[in-house]
Amino acid sequence: MSTVGSSRQAGALYWPVQLRRNVGVRGLFAVVMAFLVAYGFLFPGLFTASGFAKFTQSWFPLALVAMAQAILMLTGGISLAIGAMVSLGAVIAATTMTGPLGVAGGATAVALTGVGIGGATGFIVVKLRLPAIVVTLAGSFIIGGAALLILPRPGGAIPEWLSDLLAGNTPAAFVLLVLIVLLWKLYLATPLGLSLYAAGENPVGAYRSGVPVDGARVAAYAISGLLCTGAGLFVAAQTGSGDPIIGTAFTLNSIAAAVLGGIGFLGGQGTMRGALAGSLLLSLMISVMFFLGFTPVAQYVAQGLIIIGAVAIPQFRKVQR
Amino acid sequence: MTAWKETVGGRRALTILRSRPFLTVAIVAAVWIVASFVSRGFGAYGHLRYLVELAAVIGLVAAGQTFVVIAGGIDLSVAAIVTVSAVSLPLLSWQADPTGLTAVLAVLALTTTIGLVNGLGVALLRVHPMIMTLAMATFLQGLLIIIAGGSAVTAENPLVRWIGNARPAGIPAGVLLWVAVSVIVLAAMHATSFGARLFAMGANPLAATLSGVPFASTTLAVYGISGFTSGLAGVLVLGMNGQGYVGIGDPYLLASIAAVVLGGTSILGGLGTYAGTIPGAILLVTITALITVVNASPGWRSILFGSLILGLLLLSGREQARR
Repeated sequence: MSTVGSSRQAGALYWPVQLRRNVGVRGLFAVVMAFLVAYGFLFPGLFTASGFAKFTQSWFPLALVAMAQAILMLTGGISLAIGAMVSLGAVIAATTMTGPLGVAGGATAVALTGVGIGGATGFIVVKLRLPAIVVTLAGSFIIGGAALLILPRPGGAIPEWLSDLLAGNTPAAFVLLVLIVLLWKLYLATPLGLSLYAAGENPVGAYRSGVPVDGARVAAYAISGLLCTGAGLFVAAQTGSGDPIIGTAFTLNSIAAAVLGGIGFLGGQGTMRGALAGSLLLSLMISVMFFLGFTPVAQYVAQGLIIIGAVAIPQFRKVQR
Repeated sequence: MTAWKETVGGRRALTILRSRPFLTVAIVAAVWIVASFVSRGFGAYGHLRYLVELAAVIGLVAAGQTFVVIAGGIDLSVAAIVTVSAVSLPLLSWQADPTGLTAVLAVLALTTTIGLVNGLGVALLRVHPMIMTLAMATFLQGLLIIIAGGSAVTAENPLVRWIGNARPAGIPAGVLLWVAVSVIVLAAMHATSFGARLFAMGANPLAATLSGVPFASTTLAVYGISGFTSGLAGVLVLGMNGQGYVGIGDPYLLASIAAVVLGGTSILGGLGTYAGTIPGAILLVTITALITVVNASPGWRSILFGSLILGLLLLSGREQARR
């Protein structure tokens, strides 16, 4: 009787708690909405089926790497190997899927590589107690080198139907993203997922309370690796082939998206919805600048300025107060 | 029959033997000795001098990086600043000054200003150093392509050419420059109150601020120094190369961080010394040279480089658990 009551109470608490977690990112949500409206106004094509499909497809890989970075930052880690992992996923997909392994085998290989390398990175960082930033910097060379070995120059192929399914005129990317977000919610309900925030916020306290801190952190690295190689598979499907350096830009962009989304560097601060909104904002910025005819060079300059501004202004207001 | 460990001199010797910089020096020596037996010509004076000359560039970049890391930050814009220095110097040529000194000073002032802007962002706007310097690197990358247009520019500056090529008393001028900078850096780090403030700030910024360490001005100074030494490295690399192009500084980002960490400085700040970074820089160049000797494909070379750094980290870069 009492357990039923308490669980109902917990159920009643769920939405207020979730609303409270929005507090930090409300401003960001407003900015993203404003950008979306402006974008829809400038390019009405957004509201057609194909326009929506194309838009979500350009956002999807960035959303995945932002989630990959956010998981690590929530546990107090960071990865500078995101870009290399994306490249590795792309070249593995492009070399295996048309071979004897087939699409299913290729996708499995991509997923296993992501979990394996991510888990190994996590093991080195967590169990051997090496600084994450240096390990992943060295790791980016090893992973990037492996990608170059598999495919020394752009090439390989992705089956036509898979490219059409993922990057054609279908909302497949959006559906996948919704699925991944649901899986993330499920993961947060498992013991390891519950430990994630505790392990990032206060590892010593969490450890003393019996939280599997090391397990949660290694699992976060493994999931992060899986998301990165998954993003690589998608990028390969988008371009129809593999490229050993295609992921390079994702390292910076993943950190930028996570930080724009309010994820703290010290661990335990921030929400995944924030990271997703951050990646959406970044993706919108890039497409708007592209459509407004900015040269890639001016895009760099503007992107650098906007990232600093977006991070600095809320901080500045906090200091003023 | 007192053991030698008990004497003052003995204890001091033991501290040095157990210190991380010494460990890095020992690794470098071991690698050099083994490599000169395995590969003919590796141990030749000319080759070793060449290695140290290459290490001077990394050492200069890593000097600023060591300051920043000890103070609890990180500078991811050093590569872009090296490029700015190497690309903008050839564009500044004044006929009035035959030595080329003014152009060099102007470029150093420019890179120091870039560093100070980084410091402003970190200290006043409270942007995380990683974001501030990454965004600065992105910004500079765009600006550079606008300025230089993607083509290589040749340096006509006599001073720069002298720094890159002259060998007074058989020692490359770049190495002499590195030695001079090292002496100043070590003195500033370990024998001034500024240095003491750095360590305090890196170990615990809140406690340091409450104890009266001027957070803003120290942070500004640290990033300014990083901009200055990166600019100096850009001048040196331009002198050695003869040409500046966009991307010339790219290898020095990872190299500077790796040199700092391999030298035993904690990436979390508050712990370390430039005395470790110096052999760290030489070690990195040695690794690269060895990999070139192996004559592997670019993929394997990259894998070897990453694995060796990871292996060396296991040997020397373990973070003690501390809160």
